[in-house]
Amino acid sequence: MAPKDFKEDFWKSKDIKISIGEITQDEVGEETQETVQMGPTPKPHVTDLREWDMKLMERYEPFYAPFCDMCCLCTYGKCDLTAGKKGACGIDIKAQQARMVLLACCIGAAAHSAHARHLLEYLIEKRGEDFPIDLGMNIDIEAPIIRTLIGKAPKKLGDLREAMDYMEEQNLHLLSACHTGQEGSNIDFESKALHAGLMDNLGKEIGDIAQIVALNMPKGDEDAPLVEMGVGTVDRDKPVVLCIGHNVSSGAGVIDYVEDEGLEDNVEVCGICCAAIDITRYNQHAKVIGPISKQLKFIRSGVADVIVVDEQCIRTDVLEEAKKNQCKVIATTDKMCLGLPNLTDEDADKIVAQLINNQIEGALILDPDKVGEVATKVAMQIADDRGMLKLLPDMDEIQKMAKECTECGWCTRVCPNSIPMMEAVMGASEGDFSKMEELYDNDVCYTCGRCEQECERDIPIMSIMAKIGENKLKEQRFNIRAGRGPIQDVEIRKVGAPIVLGDLPGVIAFVGCTNYPEGAQDVAKMAEEFLERNYIVVTSGCGAMTIGEYRDDEGKTLYEKYSGDFDAKGLVNVGSCVSNAHIPGACIKIANIFAKKPLEGNFEEISDYILNRVGACGVAWGAYSQKAAAIATGVNRWGIPVVLGPHGTKYRRLYLGRTDKEETWQLNDMRTGNVVNGEPAPEHLLYAAETREEATVAIAKLCIRPNDTSKGRQLKLNHYIDLHKKYFGDIPEDVYKFVRVEKDIPITYKKDVKDILEEKGWEPRQLIQEPSIRDFKEKKKSSGK
Amino acid sequence: MNERVIPWQPTVIAGPKQAMLVTPETAKMMLKKSKRPLFVIGPLVEGDPIMKLTMEIADHWNLPIATTGNVYKIFKERGVETTPYGIVEIVNLLKDPDWNGVNGDGQHDLVMFIGCIYYIASQGLSTLKHFAPHLKTLTICKFFHSNADASFPNMNDDEWLKYLEKMKYD
Repeated sequence: MAPKDFKEDFWKSKDIKISIGEITQDEVGEETQETVQMGPTPKPHVTDLREWDMKLMERYEPFYAPFCDMCCLCTYGKCDLTAGKKGACGIDIKAQQARMVLLACCIGAAAHSAHARHLLEYLIEKRGEDFPIDLGMNIDIEAPIIRTLIGKAPKKLGDLREAMDYMEEQNLHLLSACHTGQEGSNIDFESKALHAGLMDNLGKEIGDIAQIVALNMPKGDEDAPLVEMGVGTVDRDKPVVLCIGHNVSSGAGVIDYVEDEGLEDNVEVCGICCAAIDITRYNQHAKVIGPISKQLKFIRSGVADVIVVDEQCIRTDVLEEAKKNQCKVIATTDKMCLGLPNLTDEDADKIVAQLINNQIEGALILDPDKVGEVATKVAMQIADDRGMLKLLPDMDEIQKMAKECTECGWCTRVCPNSIPMMEAVMGASEGDFSKMEELYDNDVCYTCGRCEQECERDIPIMSIMAKIGENKLKEQRFNIRAGRGPIQDVEIRKVGAPIVLGDLPGVIAFVGCTNYPEGAQDVAKMAEEFLERNYIVVTSGCGAMTIGEYRDDEGKTLYEKYSGDFDAKGLVNVGSCVSNAHIPGACIKIANIFAKKPLEGNFEEISDYILNRVGACGVAWGAYSQKAAAIATGVNRWGIPVVLGPHGTKYRRLYLGRTDKEETWQLNDMRTGNVVNGEPAPEHLLYAAETREEATVAIAKLCIRPNDTSKGRQLKLNHYIDLHKKYFGDIPEDVYKFVRVEKDIPITYKKDVKDILEEKGWEPRQLIQEPSIRDFKEKKKSSGK
Repeated sequence: MNERVIPWQPTVIAGPKQAMLVTPETAKMMLKKSKRPLFVIGPLVEGDPIMKLTMEIADHWNLPIATTGNVYKIFKERGVETTPYGIVEIVNLLKDPDWNGVNGDGQHDLVMFIGCIYYIASQGLSTLKHFAPHLKTLTICKFFHSNADASFPNMNDDEWLKYLEKMKYD
């Protein structure tokens, strides 16, 4: 008997909060009956979690930093919204900023989820919709986000379609709200942005689970192998296929073909950005060039014979750049076709012939297996002829080029980080390449190429940068632990209590892109600082690659130095961008496995639990993309604070708390029914720091939670004070706000802290037993549909 | 267009409302007129002669100092008391007309910035331009900040040092 197919709005229309005896069908077709305690919000619509959003925003009021004073989205405009003026449609500057944030989150959620949809359908076609979702013996709660939002666990690949359908519908409604003359309140735009972020988290989980099970990627393996990484790991004498983007299907097609033909020793397959991470999760013989910051440098180096692009974060001028050194481009998804002819149905050898005879600049091939065959064959046939093209201009030529510099200084002015590019070019003109090397190292220059666009003498600054970097090719060899995917249930059982009680000082996730203010090393240094202090450090995507590019004083990468366990001092690479889902996933699993909170349809209770008890903090130091905006906004809704780098203010909106408004920190004690004065923990939900040092201290503070035991609070305050002393030179004055009773005071700093308490007229506070920002009596949910 | 008043990072231009270019004389007039000024000093002020000059300017005009990033530490080491804030935190407080100010004497009516990272400062100044009509913003960096109410122009180091020297006196 098939499961009963209730109408989609059944639960809401009946306002039923608990369902017992949902009938499910197991994978062998036998009828079983599972008891599912359904919470109030299965498949929440845009407005169903609005009350939760309002509670978050009462405490963490949106802070707007308009990036643009105008609105140019309709033909009424441009409208100037400066200083209280409204647009022709009636919108004000706050609502317009929130609208742009919503739009960014919708774009981000769509990018992750369209990627997930493509993967899902491709993998269903390959493996069948009944292919089981089995993440191994140690993971029973295999899809915590899907369980919480959809209200059921997916058992087969085909089951993921239900979650995908739901996500797509929600994103459509959210995007429609961006149209002129729809939403008018900034707070409601924010609520929708939070929903879009949540949908982003869901889409990512669908995508990663699908690829893990169907492509047999590591399943929560803490001992996932170390894989080679760095520009220097590629054998330039071999044909080289470079994959850029995020969707593993085409890269997997290349690897499959190379393996099937026994060409592993003859062809180099490497990747940039998340495509790199995911092809190494698929096959560890592939190599990671590095994060997105390597893109233009590596393309300009001419080493790649064929560039396979899939989707997201790829330079949109990749074809133009590739043509400069006769490299061939194969586009592989509907997201990026680059104006190339669609040869999906053409014979592979004919495509190869057209490419090597220069009849076409590149090809659009939407069949991953054919991509693999064409890319490999083309690379093998043109590599020898391209030998000379793999060489950049020699140093004499570089010096000559640099002598063209007129010292106008505009290269520095248009640089996102105002790095001293002009001085570096002038140095090169005199044969001193050290300043350019300083910018190459650690991706201080992440080769966006804006300087080159501005140069009035057309100096190929990025090629000069790439060539000078080659002087250090041997040093560009690092490693990264292959992305392990989700956290195991058994690990959650081990660390759940220490995290919730505060005995383990925190879980810190370094994620996101490479728009770093002062180079990549800052991220690795922050990770190292917290690893040494017994925090759990989780990472993914470009952040994970960035961490792997750093060596400590002994010459070890952090992946060599620290284990991949989800435990104190563990450095856990979950995988690519879509694997980010496992980070809030781990927090959700703590609520479920440790605290026995039911997940199904129970978003608010789970998020409230995470906000008040799970000392987790995200860090997106170089966030640049709309995806990163959606990721951060999504985890914010789960109750996880995020620290951004200074460029993060360009997202236009932060969520900041006010420690001087004590009433906003009051908590409801769900056990006693009392309202209790709380502390500003976490103080902010979305914060942007100006320097690494400021961020480091903020991260430690943002791991404090109302639920900490006194022992746990001592530990967390000890780190906060330690780091504040290190980077600010003294004990933080606000420490008194986090001391509830004397037992909370760290022993090492007892006297100093007591002095501050006395100065501030501190009085002990009542300890809370079950902290919550939710109402004591759950209000009736609106149906929203 | 006069190069001196194109924003240092030219793409921060946000709209029709642009800062007024000011000389030290005008900047000093603004300070004289202000009842509760605040000096916000960012992490790019990390060594002499700029650090010494900022300390002398603060001293002459009796300005309370808020330090952003982690520059608090080096000012403390030089014996200068400042209050540390994240730049987004201080801007968030400044936009609230009911905030009582760094010293608890009431919201500030003039905020003078120096040494914050250009683009994050630009974002903060944008916040204050839109949401803090109760105060004026003045930047004395060597870069023109179009989102401020008043700003020094783009300058080379020599000219900037001369401007800052002039700020030390009435």
